[in-house]
Parts: sequence; C-alpha cells; structure tokens
Amino acid sequence: MNARTLIEKQVPKEVSKPAKFGMFGGKFVPEILIASLSKIEAEFIYALQDTEFQEELATALRDYVGRETPLYFAQGLTNYYKNKDGEGPEIYLKREDLNHCGAHKMNNAIGQAMIAKRMGLKSVVAATGAGQHGVATAAACAKLSLSCTIFMGSADMEKQSSNVLLMKLFGAQVKPVEGNFKEASSEAIREWVGNLDTSYYLTGTVVGPHPCPSMVCEFQSVIGKETRRQAMEIWGGKPDVLIACIGSGSNALGLFHEFIEDEDVRLIGVEAAGFGLDSGKHAATLSKGEVGIYHGAMTYLLQDEEGQIIRPHSIGVGLEYPGVGPVLSFLKDTGRAEFYSATDKEAVEGMYKINYMNNYVKLFNFAQNLAPCLLFAGYLRLCRLEGIIPALEASHALAYLEKLCPTLPNGTKVIVNCSGRGDKDAATVCNYKWGTGSN
Amino acid sequence: MAATTAASITTAAATTAATKLQSSSSSLLKPYSSSQLPFKFTKFTTSRAPSRFAISCTLATEAAVEMEEVADSDPSQWKRPDSFGRFGKFGGKYVPETLMYALTELESAFHSLKDDPEFKKELDGILKDYVGRESPLYFAERLTEHYKRPNGEGPHIYLKREDLNHTGAHKINNAVGQVLLAKRLGKQRIIAETGAGQHGVATATVCARFGLPCVVYMGAQDMERQALNVFRMRLLGAEVRGVHSGTATLKDATSEAIRDWVTNVETTHYILGSVAGPHPFPMMVREFHRVIGVETRKQALEKWGGKPDVLVACVGGGSNAMGLFDEFIKDEDVRLIGVEAAGLGIDSGKHAATLTKGEVGVLHGAMSYLLQDEDGQIIEPHSISAGLDYPGVGPEHSFLKDKGRAEYYNVTDEEALHAFKRLSRLEGIIPALETSHALAYLEKLCPTLPAGTKVVLNCSGRGDKDVQTAIKYLQRNNRLMLSWLWKSYFVFPEGKALLLSKV
Repeated sequence: MNARTLIEKQVPKEVSKPAKFGMFGGKFVPEILIASLSKIEAEFIYALQDTEFQEELATALRDYVGRETPLYFAQGLTNYYKNKDGEGPEIYLKREDLNHCGAHKMNNAIGQAMIAKRMGLKSVVAATGAGQHGVATAAACAKLSLSCTIFMGSADMEKQSSNVLLMKLFGAQVKPVEGNFKEASSEAIREWVGNLDTSYYLTGTVVGPHPCPSMVCEFQSVIGKETRRQAMEIWGGKPDVLIACIGSGSNALGLFHEFIEDEDVRLIGVEAAGFGLDSGKHAATLSKGEVGIYHGAMTYLLQDEEGQIIRPHSIGVGLEYPGVGPVLSFLKDTGRAEFYSATDKEAVEGMYKINYMNNYVKLFNFAQNLAPCLLFAGYLRLCRLEGIIPALEASHALAYLEKLCPTLPNGTKVIVNCSGRGDKDAATVCNYKWGTGSN
Repeated sequence: MAATTAASITTAAATTAATKLQSSSSSLLKPYSSSQLPFKFTKFTTSRAPSRFAISCTLATEAAVEMEEVADSDPSQWKRPDSFGRFGKFGGKYVPETLMYALTELESAFHSLKDDPEFKKELDGILKDYVGRESPLYFAERLTEHYKRPNGEGPHIYLKREDLNHTGAHKINNAVGQVLLAKRLGKQRIIAETGAGQHGVATATVCARFGLPCVVYMGAQDMERQALNVFRMRLLGAEVRGVHSGTATLKDATSEAIRDWVTNVETTHYILGSVAGPHPFPMMVREFHRVIGVETRKQALEKWGGKPDVLVACVGGGSNAMGLFDEFIKDEDVRLIGVEAAGLGIDSGKHAATLTKGEVGVLHGAMSYLLQDEDGQIIEPHSISAGLDYPGVGPEHSFLKDKGRAEYYNVTDEEALHAFKRLSRLEGIIPALETSHALAYLEKLCPTLPAGTKVVLNCSGRGDKDVQTAIKYLQRNNRLMLSWLWKSYFVFPEGKALLLSKV
C-alpha cells in the first residue's frame, strides 16, 4: 500500500483512525483544506504501516529525544501522603521532563516533522502558547533541515522570553501575534492555507480537524505504552490511577490512550482553575465549557452566550487553552474519565503540611533564602521532596494529589505524568505574590 | 605550594629540635625526660647537618615513601592512582592534618562499597529511574554532513547525550554516587563548591532527594553569570553562599568549601565536583563518572560493531572527559582528545588553558598543572563558560598529557560561540558553552581524519543556561554576527530567514 493509492481511493476503514468520537471531533474546515488534510491523513496511515519509518522514528525517539523515560517511584512524595497509620497510595512519576527540550511535546514534534519530510515539504508552520511546542518544533526542524515559522501571542512572548530565544537559536522565525495562543493558532493556519503546496502545519495539541487529534494522540501514546510495560516490570500489574494536567490534553491523552479499554484503571485529568472556577479567569474547559466548534473540531470550549471564545487564564501558560481535545470531551461525556481542576494558588501556593521532622530543616533553609516567595504546594513540594523541578502545568496534576490521596486505599498505584520540567517557570514562581495571587 | 613549604619548615625545625634534645636530654625537666617520649631520641642520629631548606622526613615511624616506578609505555601497567593517590608524580594529598582522617575514611568506605552488590544495585536504580540513564549515543547526521569534504568523505560524528540527564549535565552521576556514600558514612550535612552552577544544582537535587541539608559555595562573580542556576539551587532547598574573596570564582569557592570541611569534618561530607582535589577525590569522581565510557563502549558495539576511534571532550576540571576516557585508556588505538578554554586567546593572558600554558604545582590538595606566575601565585583564568574557568586541572589529565596518552588543545570564546550556534542550527540540540569548546575543536580535527572515522564527542551539558550569555556576546560583537550570518547564508538552506532574524 502506498500513499498515492490511499489518496486516490478512500483510506480503508480497517486502517484509518476514527474521525469522530461520539459527537465530538470531525473536520469542520474550509473546502480548500480538505484535500491537504486527506493527503496528510494518507501519509500518516502509510507511515504507520511502514516498518522503515517506524524504525527511523524509534531511533529518533531513543537517540534524539532520550526515550524511554523512567517510571520513577517518588519515595518522598509517597511518604508525605501517608496517613498517621503509615498507609497511603504509592506515587510514581512518568518522567516526561527528561525528554530533549524538557517536555512531552517532542514526541509529537519529531514524529510529525518526519512525516512532513516524507511528504517532500520544505517548511513547517506552527503555533505555540507556552513555547514548549514551539521549541520542540524548532529543534525537530533544525535536525531535519526544514525551515520553521512559529507564531506566538505577544503576551506569551513576554512571559516566556527564554523559550523565544531558544526557538531563534534553533533557526526558527518567531512571528508575534496580538493576543495569545488562540490568535496565534488562527494566524498559523492562515499562513498554512497560503502555502499549502510547500508547508506543513505542525499541530501540538489534540485539538483540530481530523486527522490532527489522531496523529498527535498516536505519537504521544508512546507514553502510555511505555508505562504499561514499566508497571508490569516494577510491580507486575497495571496502574490503578493515572493523573495528568490538561490544557488541550496532549500529555493526558498520551498517558491515558493505552488504558482507555482497561475499565479498572481510573483516568483523572486536572485542568487549570486560574483564579477560581467562578472568577471567570480560568481555563477549566471541561468543567465550565459548552459544546461548540473550534479550530475545526466539535468539542467543549469556553464560550460566552454569543458563542464567542472567552480568553482563558492560568499561571501555567501551557494550560491556557479555551478548548480541549475531542477525545477527552468524549471520555467526559461517557464517564470514562474524571476531570477536576486546581487553582493557580493550589498549583503554586498553599500550606506546606509537614508530617515528618527533616522537613523542618528544609523549611527554615527555604525561609532564609526565599523570603519574598512563600511555601507552595504542587511546584515546590516536588522540588523539596524529590529534587525535581516540575513545570507549572504538571504542578496542577501534582496539586490534585492533595485532595485525591486521602481517599485512596493503602497501596494504590498512582502514576502522575510529570509532563515537563520547570526551569522555565522559575522566574514566575519567584515573582508570585502571596494573597494577590498575581505576578 | 603553601602546604609543601609548611611541611618543610616543620620537619626542618623538628630535626633541629631533635638534635638539640640529643645533647641535653638530662637537663629536661620532668615529665619530659627522654624515656617518656614516644620514640627514642637518644638513638637518633643525623647523617649530615640539614640545611635550612631541606625536606627530611626521617622522623616518620614508617619507611620513607618511594616514588613507584611506572612502566612508561604500557597503559595497562599504569597505577591510576597508586596507593598514595598519585598518578605518576601528580595527585597526592596535600592537605592540612585535620583532613587526613576524613580522606582515609572516605577512601576505605569507597573501596568497600564500590564492590558491594547492594550499593551498586541502589546506585544503578537511581541512575536509571532518577537520572534517566542510559544516555543515548546519538548519530549527528547533519553535523557529519557539514564536515564532509568536497569528495563526500569525512568522519562520522556521534554525541554522547549527557545533556539529557536530570538537571542537564553529567555532574549528577557523581553527585548521586557521593551522596549515597555520605549516607552510608552517616554524614548529616553536605557541602559543595560550584563554578557554572551545574554541580551545585546536581548536589542540591540529590540532597533534596535524600533529605540532607546542603550548602553550596559559589563565587560572587559566577552567581551573577549563572543566576538561573542559583535560583534552581535555592528552589531545591540548598543554601547558596556567595564567596567574595580572591577573584570570586570557582577556585575561591573551592578554597572556602575546603575551609568549611576542615571545620565540620565529622558531620559533613564534601561533594567535590570534579576530578581535582586531594586523593581519593580524583579517583572517586572518575569512578562515578566512568559509567559514561562504559555505556559508550556498549553502544558503539551495538551501533557499528566496534570501538570509537576518537573521543573528544571539554576539560575544565576534567570530570566529563575522565568519565568518557577512563574506559578506553588501555585501548591504545582510541585517540583521547581534551579541549580546554583559550578564552580571549592563548597569548592574551586571559584564558584557562591549563595543560597548554600551565606549570606543575599544588592547588586544592593535589599536584597538577596549574596557571601560575613566577611567584607561584594563581593566575586568574578567563573563559566565557563558567564551568571551564578553573586555573587547575585534574591530576590524572596532567598524567595522561605527560605520558602522551591523551592530547590537549584549546579553543577561544569566539570559536566556542560559533560551535554553540552550529549545533543548535544543525541538530536542534543546544549544547552548554563548556561542551561547545569540544564541538569547536571539530573544525580543526575533522579535516585531518580519514573517511568513516568514528568520533564520539561528550555532549556534557545542555545550553539553556547559556542562552542569555551567548545572545549578549553575539549582539555586542556585530562583526562576529555578520560574518557568521554571511557564512550561514551559504551553508544553510534557510539562510535568508536567518539573515532577517534579529538574533
């Protein structure tokens, strides 16, 4: 089977990926894009069947990205969540922060860049919010000698200036767009539409017209596949609970996808509640959104009564997305997955509960060194207990452990997707002000 | 230098005192009569009158220390180190008396734990799940293309991806090993020195992981250059103490850390960051880093069924280089190349090329090459990269240089910056400025290598911490930027876009 055959005929049902998930998903795009999307879908399906491509991808994931990432038993965190009887769940971290470029985004960027190269395209266009997807795309394009243009909201460019520098160092052109991620992605799609024959739109999220959600999900699903194998090796079973933060949902889907059919595995997504779910300044799409069409797909999204998109807010810039992947919308509606949210405060700030003596030492050291900043929950807890600096996005998932762990029976195996490292967030954490909850 | 002079004065004075004692033992008041002295002075004789500057250790109860004969040409016969911690004449233990016990205790603990299967299992588990080993051996396709000659021939370049480790450098391999050792020894406090901050971050990280309080000494000048690393250390719970003495850089931080250790030696373990310092540190740090070379051998065998032909690594103190080289020292067909920092130029006086321009002396407890003036005072080194800004070098490197087993070259700040950008643009990997020195040397090396030579370069750290420094230097030096952009227009397909970018 080759791509030409697939383009000329319909992609056979037995190998194609579903375009719709219940009522969610689909291909709500202008007619000019339909042909390009079909070409991409055909190339994608063909690549999945091609052993040479799979080998090349596996080599790139192993030697360039640094997979497989460890499933790390977080002793400090586990001890912290033990109750007074010494019982509690066992907490493991899937270390996506150890990937090249420091986040799970690279799994998808390298896969899609390789597809673009196969298609003979010379340039790549992408949009980025936090900058992680932009950095990963720019790096992958440098490696594969593709020219790269990244669109980024000007507000985001200021907050994440270090990521902008990284993209430029990789040789990408970074174009500012008035607004934030949603404006940037619209602009990127416009640019793509203008150059359909030579450029490839590299999506970083599981939102978008078919086949984008399926492609991103497929490339990110390596996370879940490795997790299954590692769980079997470490404790001879499956995980009981999987937790991940949700912006658009790529890291969550990457972890969950493998286990969707395993009904005994609980899937928990944690969104950003920003200043609070009732404040109007949050990004908790699955809690507060309504169904609509956005970026080519039907899904939950944050919209007002007139159907206009509400600008989201979160201290974790990567979670600031008004929509969410259609698969996740479907998982919510069917009740297969549970979705909660954590505020900026909970992710960054909170009471630092001390259960054992040696933390007092760290408490005093910390107070001396970081007087203006205060004791934080998800973010700082992982720094102090495990020596791992998580991204603020991943800190939302870690913050939810506060509410979850007291409810879990002894010995429950919990895996949290540590989706990125937090060096990029150091300045934000430093400037965070107690009480006002602002930067 | 100070230690040896002190030793000579003490021994000369003691000799004189002993001679006096011999002639007037009966006039000594009790309880100091000769019969109560720990050894028999009356039997003491000197063969000749000692001069003012002689070093004579004849008061020692043990036999005089002999320099062991080292078979010159056969690396498998070399003792690295010998029982006194020396690599040939380099190395040793030039430290105040208070530290001797701690060093001996450390050495014996290390030797007993090194082969302990439980210790090894624990260490391997942490290296795998926490640090993220094994790090890949990555074939740098575009870099290899870049170095192909017009006839299409050239070496194959592989990068050992130590930049993918947790905390972003090779430093954590050693930090993890040493903190496990410290816990076994029952130490309650950890101290460390740091230049670039990477070792400080690695130490703070492992201390957070293992629940030990941590103090990191850092030169005030370095703290400014590497503010991100300072903040990371504080986030992880370490106390970062700025050192303002001397030139406020790595060597002063090391001196301060040693001072702290001398004061608190019973409760404190000093995690030295490089293969410098008194024995057993050079050996211990090398042993914890040698996993780099061991993995490389295995991966080379898997990838091309052979050994690497050339190993290239940057050299500051020398830990990443030793980690890669150690496994291959006995393989004489493997070329070992270390690249130091030539700063503003090897003749400018502002560089850190110890093995090229230094002379033998004692610094921080070990005899090695170091950058010193005619009075034996340390010359302040300079490099754009804080991690290579060290006026000394590990004694084992000095040994390998003298034996001719390894070759040492140097590259300037400017060449390193070019290499920094080159790897970013060609492979989508941002190397640390330290690593960029090794990468820069490829420019001179590759044209001399036959087709298909397997070159493995230790990509010892990632460069996110250096982006601000690199941009600052590049923007300041417009001529540099324009000439780079001019070259890149012709080299890279996306040259036009680069010219238009503001970097």
